[in-house]
Amino acid sequence: MSYAYLFKYIIIGDTGVGKSCLLLQFTDKRFQPVHDLTIGVEFGARMITIDGKQIKLQIWDTAGQEAFRSITRSYYRGAAGALLVYDITRRETFNHLTTWLEDARQHSNSNMVIMLIGNKSDLDSRREVKKEEGEAFAREHGLVFMETSARTAANVEEAFINTAKEIYEKIQEGVFDINNEANGIKIGQQLPPTNSSISGSGNQGGQTNGGCC
Amino acid sequence: MDFFKSGLKTVLGTSSDEGQDTPTGAETVEKLVDRVTSSTLLDDRRDACRALKALSRKYRIEVGAQGMQALVQVLQSDRADCEIVSYALDTLCNIVTQEQFEEESDNPTVSMNVGEQFTEMFIKQTENVSLVLDYLEEYDFKVRWAAVKLLTTLLTNRTKDIQEIILVSPMAVSKLMDLLIDSREVIRNDALLLLIQLTKINSNIQKIVAFENAFDRVFDIVRDEGFSDGGIVVEDCFILLINLLKHNTSNQQFFKEGSYIQKISPMFKFGSSENEEQVWTPQKVSNVHCMLQIVRSLVSPSNQQQVILSCQKTMKSCGLLEALCNILMGSGVPADILTETINTVGEVVRGETENQLVFSNVMAPSNPPKSALVVLLMSMINEKQPLILRISVLYSFQCFLYKNETGQNSLIQTLLPSSNAEATITTGQLLCGGLFSMDPLANWFSSVALMHGLISNREKKEQLLRVLLATTPGSPPVSLLQQCCSILQQNSCKLQTKVGILMLLSVWLNDCPVAVNYFLSSPSNGVSYLIAEISSNEQDENEYLIQGLCAFLLGLCIQGNDNTVMGSGKEDLCQLVVKRIGLEIYTRKLGEVSRHESYSRAGKNPQIRVDSGSDLLLDYEFCKVFKALEHTISALVNGYSNNNTNMTELTLSSEASDLVGQYKGIIRDLDKEIKSLKVQVNDANSSNSDLRQRIVELEGTNSQLADQNILLKAQLTASSISNGSPNDSSVLNLEIGRLQQENHLLQSKLAEEKDKTSLEMDKLRKDQEDLLELLSDQENKITKLKNQLKASGLTVEDDDELDEESDGISIL
Repeated sequence: MSYAYLFKYIIIGDTGVGKSCLLLQFTDKRFQPVHDLTIGVEFGARMITIDGKQIKLQIWDTAGQEAFRSITRSYYRGAAGALLVYDITRRETFNHLTTWLEDARQHSNSNMVIMLIGNKSDLDSRREVKKEEGEAFAREHGLVFMETSARTAANVEEAFINTAKEIYEKIQEGVFDINNEANGIKIGQQLPPTNSSISGSGNQGGQTNGGCC
Repeated sequence: MDFFKSGLKTVLGTSSDEGQDTPTGAETVEKLVDRVTSSTLLDDRRDACRALKALSRKYRIEVGAQGMQALVQVLQSDRADCEIVSYALDTLCNIVTQEQFEEESDNPTVSMNVGEQFTEMFIKQTENVSLVLDYLEEYDFKVRWAAVKLLTTLLTNRTKDIQEIILVSPMAVSKLMDLLIDSREVIRNDALLLLIQLTKINSNIQKIVAFENAFDRVFDIVRDEGFSDGGIVVEDCFILLINLLKHNTSNQQFFKEGSYIQKISPMFKFGSSENEEQVWTPQKVSNVHCMLQIVRSLVSPSNQQQVILSCQKTMKSCGLLEALCNILMGSGVPADILTETINTVGEVVRGETENQLVFSNVMAPSNPPKSALVVLLMSMINEKQPLILRISVLYSFQCFLYKNETGQNSLIQTLLPSSNAEATITTGQLLCGGLFSMDPLANWFSSVALMHGLISNREKKEQLLRVLLATTPGSPPVSLLQQCCSILQQNSCKLQTKVGILMLLSVWLNDCPVAVNYFLSSPSNGVSYLIAEISSNEQDENEYLIQGLCAFLLGLCIQGNDNTVMGSGKEDLCQLVVKRIGLEIYTRKLGEVSRHESYSRAGKNPQIRVDSGSDLLLDYEFCKVFKALEHTISALVNGYSNNNTNMTELTLSSEASDLVGQYKGIIRDLDKEIKSLKVQVNDANSSNSDLRQRIVELEGTNSQLADQNILLKAQLTASSISNGSPNDSSVLNLEIGRLQQENHLLQSKLAEEKDKTSLEMDKLRKDQEDLLELLSDQENKITKLKNQLKASGLTVEDDDELDEESDGISIL
């Protein structure tokens, strides 16, 4: 329950690329093969540990359909991290990345960490976008890149946790103004203690309580 | 007003007070509007705006019709001057409001919906709304406040349209949320009202508002305002929370995951630390009422099952359930808070085993201690308690029993004869007491409560049959079921009592053949009562309901019938229906239940919602049972008369009949197999018996033959004996004599021959001996010659050797 930090994430990208499946795999550790269209936005949450600190991730999974675009835009500003997802078996979802990125950059705070995700890596036989292309795109736009599979859970944990790590590092560097909640970051009720020994015990408490969240 | 009037005079340059010369309101407005649009001086425009604002209360239609465009123009081009902008916003607000001003009360042209019409005009250009939204960012108090008020009014009039506009304008919700941290309370409080309007119904807006940290903001305000002791602002905060949570799964999850349940939980712990009595001001009552609504919005039975369960678990673990139970048992709690708390506790425990257990273990602080359930049920069957309280107790009791076999068991257990007679009152006793009390409402409450103890629990249905009641001293005890039947048949039996008992009996008899048999064979003559009720000709909506319920119960008697009660088998009862009631009438009466208005009302929601006690008729769970069985029963009864077969088939639900279909197939296959096997067995048997017969025959012939054999043998011996008969012996003796003579003759001949040959033999022997002698002489001669030859130096080959050689050659 108690956490050192709380990060707000959004998941964006074309419809059908597997945004909801990524979230479901991350929060519930299961895969739903049937495509169930997301209406507007759905919420999910999970606790992770970085650098020995409990970090709560609150994730808003947005609808990919164009009709919901104006609604999902409202979520950019308050998010600390975004997972921008495309489908490696559908080139057009990769081609739309520029639009998504422009949209995100325009409406979010400048420090938002964006992780580029090529999903459905298990369907390698139907691949239309090479891994190198994803890497190149990420490099060009200063994003972190990863290929995942919501079906096999490959790299799903890593995608969410690495994004959190990036945000965490930015906090350590003092880039984020953590007192402004509009950035999508909240400090836990228990401030992370400076004394390392106390910090250890505090985190243990956090872990035991974490179960009921 | 005088100031304004004189101001107007100077502005308009009129000096005359005379009626004829006084310009009409419309003319004045026209001039002012003209000035706002065309004057180049800001001061002039500002003054005109101020005057329009003043006039807008009395001449709303004139100002609105002529000035709206001008006012919008001010908003567009005079951004820099806060004063004129605030006048424009205020004027617009006056025009579009639905509120009627004192000044215009004598103006008949101002109809009720004039504000709405102007709202429509204003928002036709969606940019106008964006314009107002922009002014929310202006820090100046007057401007920001006016913008908030105008937006609230627009939202109130045209909620859906404005919501759509706000959804598509980027950052609009963010701007609105920022108002909540405005240090000026007036703005913050009005922003709350604005958000309450904004978050009505539209779940997308609700989610965005929640995403923009609404929960944190609102809880901060609640804390600053003193929690439940705070004023109306706290109530507004809670109303906003209710808007955000009701029917919004995503936000409910967010609320739970964000540990906000833990934040609201301590607010329910009032008065526990201090001993002083709680002061329940009307505002506090409203606040706590809202808090309970928030809790219920999270665990309402209409929510997603998963969300309900996880919230229920959190509510138990963070102590919220305990706090609620304390309110339940606390003293001095106002009645409507108590009622709502009972409802809330019900929903917090509904379907969650552990929470139900906690609830059943709550003890009331009485002496001797009673369980809270007992205390609550006592209020339920008490006529003097307010109706809403009694209803809430029934609801919470239903929630307690929902999917709670343990709870059902312990309730029925308290009624069983085996349980030892304790001094303490039990839930079961209370319900029995209520069932037979003089108050029809208590009858209804108790029968429904008892009915919920039986739902989907066949074992308890059977056990409850064992319950015996001592009605009047001296008379033998009667069973509960029997007693129910006799109450039904009393003339004094009221409508609600009948409905309650009929529902109880229906659930009791459903899926429990033992109970059906018991009902059919009981001396209280239930069936004839049912038939009489169904065929009665009362013309009243509620009478129809009773008839329908009776038809349903009779149908259940047919459906659950296993034909063990003589004279009341399936067919007997169907025959009764056909002959005494008539099929069409029966079907129509059965349908009366679902046609009754209370059916649709009760079937909607597990929670009981009625305006008055007399509206309490059907129950939610009963409606579910009825819905599931109505069709089956009518098909069953109709099917009987149509083709008399397939009766059992029709008594089954579609799933069951599918299953039956499968089994039928299997049985058919097996049948075929059995038939063919039977044929085979018959064949085998017949061939077997044939064979047996043949064996017998053969054995017979065999023994015959053996007999014959023996006979023949005997004959044979007999005949061989009879061969030496005296007739033949003389012939034979002659023959023997002749043969003996012959024999002698031959013997003498033989002796002659013998002599001859022995003579010859002697002669031959002599010859042989002579020859042998000669041979040995010759051999001696040969050896002599050989030796001579050897001595003379010639090699002589042996005869043997020569023989051998010639042998070898011959072989070759």
